Amino acid sequence: MSTTLVSQSLVKAKSLSCPNCGTPIELRGFAHTLSAVCPSCLSILDASNPELQILQTYQGKERIEPKIPLGSRGTFNGTVYELIGFEQRSVQTPDDYFSWDEYLLFNPYKGFRYISEYCGHWNVIRVQSRVPYPTTARGRRGWVLDARKFAAFDAMQAATSYVIGEFPWQVRLGETAACEDFIAPPYMLSSETTAGETTWSLGEYWEGSKIWQAFRLPGKPPSPQGIFANQVSPYAGKTGAAWRMWLWFNVALFTLMTIFNLTKANKEVFHDEYSYAYFKNHDTSFVTPAFQLDGVNKNVEVRFHADIRNDWIYLSMALINDETGQTFDFAREVSYYVDSDGSEGNRDNRVVIPSVPAGRYYLRIEPEMVTGALSTRYEISVRRDVPIYSYFWIAAALLLIPPIVTWFRSNQFEARRWRESDYRPVDSPVMKIAGGIIESLGDD
Amino acid sequence: MNNPLFLLYGVLLLGATGYLEYTGKSFDRINQQRVLPKSIRDNPGAYRSTYGGYSRYIGGK
Repeated sequence: MSTTLVSQSLVKAKSLSCPNCGTPIELRGFAHTLSAVCPSCLSILDASNPELQILQTYQGKERIEPKIPLGSRGTFNGTVYELIGFEQRSVQTPDDYFSWDEYLLFNPYKGFRYISEYCGHWNVIRVQSRVPYPTTARGRRGWVLDARKFAAFDAMQAATSYVIGEFPWQVRLGETAACEDFIAPPYMLSSETTAGETTWSLGEYWEGSKIWQAFRLPGKPPSPQGIFANQVSPYAGKTGAAWRMWLWFNVALFTLMTIFNLTKANKEVFHDEYSYAYFKNHDTSFVTPAFQLDGVNKNVEVRFHADIRNDWIYLSMALINDETGQTFDFAREVSYYVDSDGSEGNRDNRVVIPSVPAGRYYLRIEPEMVTGALSTRYEISVRRDVPIYSYFWIAAALLLIPPIVTWFRSNQFEARRWRESDYRPVDSPVMKIAGGIIESLGDD
Repeated sequence: MNNPLFLLYGVLLLGATGYLEYTGKSFDRINQQRVLPKSIRDNPGAYRSTYGGYSRYIGGK
């Protein structure tokens, strides 16, 4: 345990009585405490002199119970702090009201720390003696501190609406301060201006479970609602990593394609030209000379090319094993049309027959064209063991899915974060559509 | 590695691509028949292709 641990024997609280109701008040902040709140009548007392003069009496009826009890001790970066004060601050605008809680922690050797909580989102805060310097971040006003750029997120007039415990300043209910928040997740730089004096503080986002662990509190912290200003995106750094991985997979895919391209025989075993002429009631089918297919169960590509224009030719074909009679039956159409608007179709077509055993084969071809067609020349070629590049293009397209989804999700998270900002950017139509798609896929 | 699911997905995708390429699989529609009389070589018109008799609409009446 750290040497800065504060034990009961080391630090003895100063005990006084409330001049309003007589309730004993223990002060743990020593000479730092300038005001204290009576835990019974909630009167705010001036703790700078032993008489404890009443500064303000509490007129409200509601008592707020802090989520972390006063007097709790928590360990932060190896230092034990005691929770000595709690205040609730609120913002009231014509169309909005919200509040957040602030906890004051004290260690006699390390000084003060603050914890803020809003809708289950926690920040551990230190007041800064350094002054940041102005810059622009994300296209808006910002500040630089510790080489980090903080972008303006929101600005408000906050009022102190509830206090309990003790404070190193003369706290007053209703006291207002002009607050501004600037973010660089997980950090938040905040300025508080009262009577021309500006105080800077640096907050770091903490998960509620970590706060509970630091204070060894029983149970679970309240679940966070929504996305907080400086909450760390679960996709932070993942988009770049996903694109880097995509790049490596594409390198691997290209390597695989090259290997297959080099190792495949891709050998032409047959090639011939034919001419089609229509005769009524004439059988157009014929067979080719036999050709040899080597290798075990390799694929066979049959390519067609026809010299046609504004016409079609349909080829019903069969690859037949001359010895076993095993037949691979298929058909393809070649059609090509062209006019002043452009062209449609293709003079070439092909078919790939998978796993064809070795042996002697011939093709049985039955061409068909529109009745009355003029003589048409067409070519047929057969290749053994050809690479099929379409698999690689399909794989390359499928590999795009994870980085694109990660990128959309990351952008959607940031869009939801900035939706809460006073400097909310306008969502692009693409992001709106993408957000809708991702949400419909069940993203929370 | 901060994206193990993508890693697994990519490895499976590459594996599947390599398998399909190695085995020469094809998406093309092929009808395979086992027994065919040798007489087809001499009389190709006797063969009835699965895709034969393909009739198409060529427009007009």
